[in-house]
Amino acid sequence: MLNRCIMEMEGSMAKKLYSLTAIFTTPNEIIKAAKAVQEAGYSKYDVHTPYPLHGMDDAMELKETKLGFVTLAAGIMGATGMISFASWVASVDYPQVIGGKPYWSWPAFVPVTYEIAVLMAVLLTVAALIVFFFKFPNVSHPLHDTPYMKKVSADKFGVSIQAEDPKFNEKVVGDLLKNLGGEVSPVYYSEEFLDFKPQLFEPKFILLLAGIAVVSAGGGYATWNKLLYLPPFDWMMEQPKSKPQSHSEFYADGFAMRPPVEGSIARGFIPYPYKGKPDEAAKYLVNPLLPTKEVLALGKKKYLTFCSPCHGNFGSGDSRLQGQFPNPPTLHSDKVRIWSNGSIYHVITDGQNVMPSYQYQITREERWAVVHYIRTLERALNAKESDLQ
Amino acid sequence: MSATVIDYSKEISVVEGRPSAALLDGVITQPIDSFPQRNWLIGLAVTGTMLLIGGISLGWLLWKGVGVWGINQPVAWGFDVVNFVFWIGIGHAGTLISAILFLLRQKWRTGIARFAEAMTLFAVLCAVMFVLFHTGRPWIAAVWLLPYPNQHGVWVNFTSPLIWDVFAVSTYFAVSLVFWYIGIIPDFATLRDRAVTKVKKTIFTILSLGWRFSNRHWQHYERAYLIMAGFATPLVLSVHTIVSFDFAVSIIPGWHTTIFPPYFVAGAIFSGFAMVQNVLIVTRKAFHFEHLITLDTIEKMNKIMLLTGSMVGYAYMMEFFIAWYSGNAIERFVFINRAFGPYWWAYWIMFTCNVVSPQLFWSKKIRTSLLASFIIAIFINIGMWFERFVIVVTSLSRDFLPSSWGMFIPTMWDFGLLIGSFGLFFTLVLLFVKALPAISMAEIKAVVPGAQPLHYGDGGFHG
Amino acid sequence: MSDTHETVIYPKKELPAKYVQTGWALVAAGFILAAVSYIDDPHRAAYNNLIGFAFLASVAVGAVFYIALEYIAGAVWSTPFRRVSEFLAALLPFVVILSIPLFFQMHDLFHWTHDEAVASDKILQSKTPYLNVEFFVIRFVVMMAIWGLFYYLFRKNSLKQDMDKDQKHTRTNIKLAGAFLPIFAISISVFAIDWLMSLEPHWFSTMFGVYYFTGTIICALAVITYIVVVLSERGYFFQGIGKDHYYSFGALLYALTAFWAYIAFSQFMLIWYANLPEENFWFIARWKNGWEYVSVAMVLFHFWVPYFMLLSRPSKMDTGNLKRSSLLLIAVHFLDLYWLVVPTFHESPVFGYEEIAFPLLTIGLIIIVFAMQAKKYNLVPIGDPKLQRGMDFHL
Repeated sequence: MLNRCIMEMEGSMAKKLYSLTAIFTTPNEIIKAAKAVQEAGYSKYDVHTPYPLHGMDDAMELKETKLGFVTLAAGIMGATGMISFASWVASVDYPQVIGGKPYWSWPAFVPVTYEIAVLMAVLLTVAALIVFFFKFPNVSHPLHDTPYMKKVSADKFGVSIQAEDPKFNEKVVGDLLKNLGGEVSPVYYSEEFLDFKPQLFEPKFILLLAGIAVVSAGGGYATWNKLLYLPPFDWMMEQPKSKPQSHSEFYADGFAMRPPVEGSIARGFIPYPYKGKPDEAAKYLVNPLLPTKEVLALGKKKYLTFCSPCHGNFGSGDSRLQGQFPNPPTLHSDKVRIWSNGSIYHVITDGQNVMPSYQYQITREERWAVVHYIRTLERALNAKESDLQ
Repeated sequence: MSATVIDYSKEISVVEGRPSAALLDGVITQPIDSFPQRNWLIGLAVTGTMLLIGGISLGWLLWKGVGVWGINQPVAWGFDVVNFVFWIGIGHAGTLISAILFLLRQKWRTGIARFAEAMTLFAVLCAVMFVLFHTGRPWIAAVWLLPYPNQHGVWVNFTSPLIWDVFAVSTYFAVSLVFWYIGIIPDFATLRDRAVTKVKKTIFTILSLGWRFSNRHWQHYERAYLIMAGFATPLVLSVHTIVSFDFAVSIIPGWHTTIFPPYFVAGAIFSGFAMVQNVLIVTRKAFHFEHLITLDTIEKMNKIMLLTGSMVGYAYMMEFFIAWYSGNAIERFVFINRAFGPYWWAYWIMFTCNVVSPQLFWSKKIRTSLLASFIIAIFINIGMWFERFVIVVTSLSRDFLPSSWGMFIPTMWDFGLLIGSFGLFFTLVLLFVKALPAISMAEIKAVVPGAQPLHYGDGGFHG
Repeated sequence: MSDTHETVIYPKKELPAKYVQTGWALVAAGFILAAVSYIDDPHRAAYNNLIGFAFLASVAVGAVFYIALEYIAGAVWSTPFRRVSEFLAALLPFVVILSIPLFFQMHDLFHWTHDEAVASDKILQSKTPYLNVEFFVIRFVVMMAIWGLFYYLFRKNSLKQDMDKDQKHTRTNIKLAGAFLPIFAISISVFAIDWLMSLEPHWFSTMFGVYYFTGTIICALAVITYIVVVLSERGYFFQGIGKDHYYSFGALLYALTAFWAYIAFSQFMLIWYANLPEENFWFIARWKNGWEYVSVAMVLFHFWVPYFMLLSRPSKMDTGNLKRSSLLLIAVHFLDLYWLVVPTFHESPVFGYEEIAFPLLTIGLIIIVFAMQAKKYNLVPIGDPKLQRGMDFHL
């Protein structure tokens, strides 16, 4: 960091004058002094006070500050930006019906628009103030660290007329300030200030940037890639719940997967009402299908697939199992032929004697188709004369 | 001042006597430059303990989740939201004193504006803590509450008042911070020029950005200050209004009522002023600022508490009347339930503290008594906390369907975090008064009699 | 404290005759139109009468509010003009006069006076302890009596102070102001609920009192501002009155405009958001059949236009701009009342000679009453201890 200025160096060292300053002790004096300096035609001068004085702006004939325009522009930009963004999100990018309202509901966007307008207005005003209006940070101004500055930041008022001013003449200015009643003293540039040759890549600054980069990158990585994967932040990776096919401490048998509760049925499924009741099945069940070509083809297919191994291809009971399984009686017996369709359906569904239930292999519709086919078989093997016509 | 008759043709001086600027600098920087006193250290020990309790509660909360609190269905919002609204409300006083009283050209704000603004920042921090940690996974909420383009392709819901809160509180914090900082820059420069040690000098040099007290800068500075005050003022209204919208946009009886916005704002100012009053009475005694923060200031604060307390009372009356007027049985029930239901005790604490106690300030004797001011301010804070409790918890515990009714019973972790928030707030206040000037040096110098040139009258109104 | 002024010398001037003449012309025109409309269509005349009545009440009681506000806040910049508010408050008796025709039109105006409707509506029945004619009248009489009493006391002390320059009158008025403000808050809310909200007896909003209060104080301040600027330009006040005083008026009008927008938006948005049928019908009625244009006009001319007119610093000090803004704000208060009242009676907005009658009448009344008061009493409260500080006031 650059050093401040040196004050009043004795000796024959060459010093470059920055300005002549004068200290005053009352507000009225400094106002008078400011007016006098302004009227004398100086332009590169400044007044320094520990707090703003009323009337000083007029005394120095300062033009009205333009800061307000920055505020206006920033506020409008913030407002239009935010309402546009919110509108785009709600009506174009991801429209959702929220609260039954239309996609674009302007009353709901007012609060965020207002807040962002204010945020932009204030932040940009302050940024403009510091960077453009003050040209800060500037910690190496010639006036820093001088007795003049120390007085003026506490309780005195001062005026400083710069040597760069076109009308500057050390004696004239000195006399003017003395006549106004001020305590005059010169301020010189420090040697370091004059010797300062700014480089594009100032080593300390580059080091600072590098340091900031390392810290922010490292800190960011450590946080979002490491810290946020430690419990309890670990994105619900460890959850105390049962997974399929895992062991469970909770149940005595150790199975996490449980069978459905007794009496559960699948959705959309109506249980077979005549389980174990062949007589009622015989009485109440009616074949809902008509014996069309498609139905018979389906019935034939299913019969040949599921029934024919035991009952034979034509229902005669001539199983091709070669005695591995007891042969069923023929389906063309009188007993079976007078059974109602419901009985046949019931036997397929519920099983009978050695025959198991085929309800899981053959769907209900298919079963009715098989019934039609069996009836066809029966009729085929016991055809009447009338059938030929 | 309190015993004598006021002469209305003369302006009441903000500062007693005519202290010189140098003297003022000395008085204000004395707490910063001196070694911590015993009282301060004891205070810090107490608040530090409270903060520790809060830290433990927070750690347990993060580990186990929000189930450690007493919240449930139907009362899904408990101490978390009550404390959030409470602390945001406290914060508003700082901005009001700093910004609104500035716009109204009330010079008596000068002695208290700086630490009131600091209190705003600390209070908002406490509030943000609650609202962030009441989300189930705050480490995600911190990021997902902001609208940024992401791989999910989703955005935040701009129509939800909870998101309006995010924008409002963030803006409020940012603007308050900037406003406070710009205000301190001249003081940082003064401290830089007074600094004895190299460390302090370096720190203040950086913080002051190189401020040189140039009038060409003061001109822009004053305009910037006015602009920021002009924005901070509606921001106070808008932030607590948006907080009130959290409740008022719903259909829950007791929540859905159009007067909530100004009612909440008045309540916030009310509770905030009470907190500032408590802090300032202690501060002025501890740091010998009695001539800078006069009894007149304390009296004016009490008057504002009377005003805002009456506004809150008006809102209570209007809510109650309109609930009756609406003819809606459920609305009417809500108010009966508040006063006579299971949480009746909370309602009556609220009523006594909020409606009755500030009315004592009609008496000049009470208004100008330091002890009475301090005690009543504490009661007001208690009352305002209970007001939020009544609004949030009582309304949720008894909404439309009786089969859904349920009670909220706070757990020790609820209390732990509440205590912790007070610990955080007061620890920060204590640290602040030791590290930074508690009164704005530049501003106070400007309002001392004789500070301004005679052209505008002795100590005329400061813009 | 400047000690170059010892005694305050106030040169009393009379208002030009043409003001009074204009006032009488407006009153006459308004009265004739009103009378004709009563004969032609008493129903329509009734609700226009209501609008005029509410407008005049805004100006009159708003003026009393500003008197009390100045005392309680200890403000000095407004002290030189406080008498303007005191003169405007003298309109209170005329508010009562304007209310008289309304009491004969209660059945036309207020649905809750229809006994058959109430008998078949459980909700209306539950409101009858409040919404019945006797209690309504009592509330109004009490309200006007209280407002009248405070007006009388404020003025008595202020005028006495002109003579004896005793500070005790200021002390008394400050105490009165402290008592007035809470009473005013409640009474203006009751006024708004009774005369404006109960037009639609099924509707309710806790914000309504605040909404009407805000509109009232903007309107009253606009009238005060306009009068102060016009008279100040013609030298009726002191030489010291300058841009800093104007700036105060401008800043207050600007802030109140923003505040009104905030209150109006809050009331609207909360009802829109929850979308409850028991509340939203009131706003829906104001968004159909042409009323949407009036609603948009409200947003534009009650908020956006005056807000930007008074946004910049110089604009708040410019006398021409202040006059234009004040007139606009007075006009939009009429628009506000029109938007509050007429949708209850008309599906679509209507505008004819009937709607002009009462604005003319009330504006004329304001001018005449003010001029008559200014003739009898000082335009400036010369005995007020804060007067010097008020005149010296600088930003």
